[in-house]
Amino acid sequence: MDSIFKDKNKLAWLFVTTGILILPFILGKGYYLNVMNFVALYSIVAVGLCLLVGYGGQLSISHSAFFAIGAYVSAILCLRYKLHPLVSIPITQGISALAALGIGAVVLRLKGHYLAIATLSFTVIVEILIKEMDWLTGGLNGLPSIPSISLAGFLIDSDWRFYFTVWPIAMLFLLFALNLVDSRMGRIFRAVREGEDIIRMFGADIKRYKIKLFITSSIYASLAGCFYAHFVTFISPDAGSIMFAIEMILIIALGGYTSLWGAMLGVGSLTLLNEYLAVFAEFKRAIYGLVLIMIIMFFPNGLFQGLKDSSSLFFQLVRQRRNNSASA
Amino acid sequence: MLQLSNVTKNFGGLTALQNVSFPIKEGTIKGLIGPNGAGKTTLFNVITGVFPPNKGTVIFLGMDITGKKPEEIACLGISRTFQQPHLFKSLTAWENVMLGRHYRTRAEFFACGFSSPWARREEKMIREKGLEYLNLFSLVDKRDRIANKLPLGEQRYLEVARALATEPQLLLLDEPTSGLNENEAGQFKDIVFKIRDMGITVLVIEHHMKFIMEVCDEITVLNFGSKIAEGSPQEIQHSPKVIEAYLGAEEEID
Repeated sequence: MDSIFKDKNKLAWLFVTTGILILPFILGKGYYLNVMNFVALYSIVAVGLCLLVGYGGQLSISHSAFFAIGAYVSAILCLRYKLHPLVSIPITQGISALAALGIGAVVLRLKGHYLAIATLSFTVIVEILIKEMDWLTGGLNGLPSIPSISLAGFLIDSDWRFYFTVWPIAMLFLLFALNLVDSRMGRIFRAVREGEDIIRMFGADIKRYKIKLFITSSIYASLAGCFYAHFVTFISPDAGSIMFAIEMILIIALGGYTSLWGAMLGVGSLTLLNEYLAVFAEFKRAIYGLVLIMIIMFFPNGLFQGLKDSSSLFFQLVRQRRNNSASA
Repeated sequence: MLQLSNVTKNFGGLTALQNVSFPIKEGTIKGLIGPNGAGKTTLFNVITGVFPPNKGTVIFLGMDITGKKPEEIACLGISRTFQQPHLFKSLTAWENVMLGRHYRTRAEFFACGFSSPWARREEKMIREKGLEYLNLFSLVDKRDRIANKLPLGEQRYLEVARALATEPQLLLLDEPTSGLNENEAGQFKDIVFKIRDMGITVLVIEHHMKFIMEVCDEITVLNFGSKIAEGSPQEIQHSPKVIEAYLGAEEEID
């Protein structure tokens, strides 16, 4: 336990987790709980994507596909094979991991834009399969009446109950990611981003690490998908649309590619804007496009990081001017 | 320790190395010199597995390592530096050296993610070892600086520190003193001796003649991809073939 208090990140984690778990007791029940539940679900995806794209430098647009795989596989296992959600969720993770292994082994040979295009095509394929295989997935109509998760007769079907299920899980997955990036593995990811050829000279089998990272990251998305399906109890092909994958990339760009906290903040702000600002929701796609272009042009290190850098630069300038006028 | 036999490497129609054979004895400092384009760096790339030779074998500690992958060869105990420092640019000096410890340590995904006690202990050791190697080059104060922002001389030191952190048996240095001034090159000489005294065999490519003559036990000279001479620094300095191919021309320019 003593290491928790030494480490800034973990201390922050402890505070944020406590804050989030206390929040409903202060604000009481309300619609905001529903919104917060989606923030938790999407933040699991964003944290996983941040590991892969931000730290590992592998630009992948496949997370909506894994989200959809997670949602559909778990739903189908429950509806067709009458499995209990607590059984179907782990099985689904296994299936997603196998899918990620298969896809990763092929596409991770590619780099940069080529990798992005390859993963994008995977997403398109998954989306089409979901729409066309209506005997299994319900096609465009989706799958209704998916059972909620229940634990020994206790049904997790309200916003309140789901809040206290999904947020601890989201925070634990964040903790796992925080530990990971702050370790031997985290250094390898960043080294892979810097130069694959150099890190091979230091005895790292990067092909294996890249695939492992891809699987880990995909599991984050697929797990979020599972919980989404059992929470909303209805899924349609929209759950795995490309727009969702792009939204996630935007969130990583907002947060600053190598900041897990930034990813959380990005999810939070985007989901809240979407929910409470009607103008924003209407022109969502146009705004996303514009914002993404502006971030790439003006804040290549991500919006939050960029704002942080420019504000510190601003203060530096102010201090310099003050010193100059003092000496003059 | 290392034995090259008839190593040949072609790039399309260009022969970069032709039937190059020479041994490196354990515990010695071996120099590799030759005019630009003689194939020195290509030879490094063949030894470290960046590309396999078209012909010939590389034997390291009695094991045939020809055609093995770079990561496999690194794990056997061969480490290197590059002509232009190839650091992990956006990582700090400390992190760069810690990456050198990679294959000497074991914690993988789950141990790291769950922050298991043994992974934490290992991480602590990696950090301490990292400092130890930074200390060899007086870089401890700059451990949190981004590698790319360090001056060139310190980037070179950092590269050597990172290579040493792998605890190699054979260290390949590719022009370690280029871009350093006379004073810094002198300091680097002491570092190379220190490395040898640590029990590490060194193979060094260098254009700086004073440095190579003072440092090396034995020198191999390449020209147009072929070995033209081999011997002690004195023998090389007096070899007519070498003077003709290389030293003579350079002295005239000087």
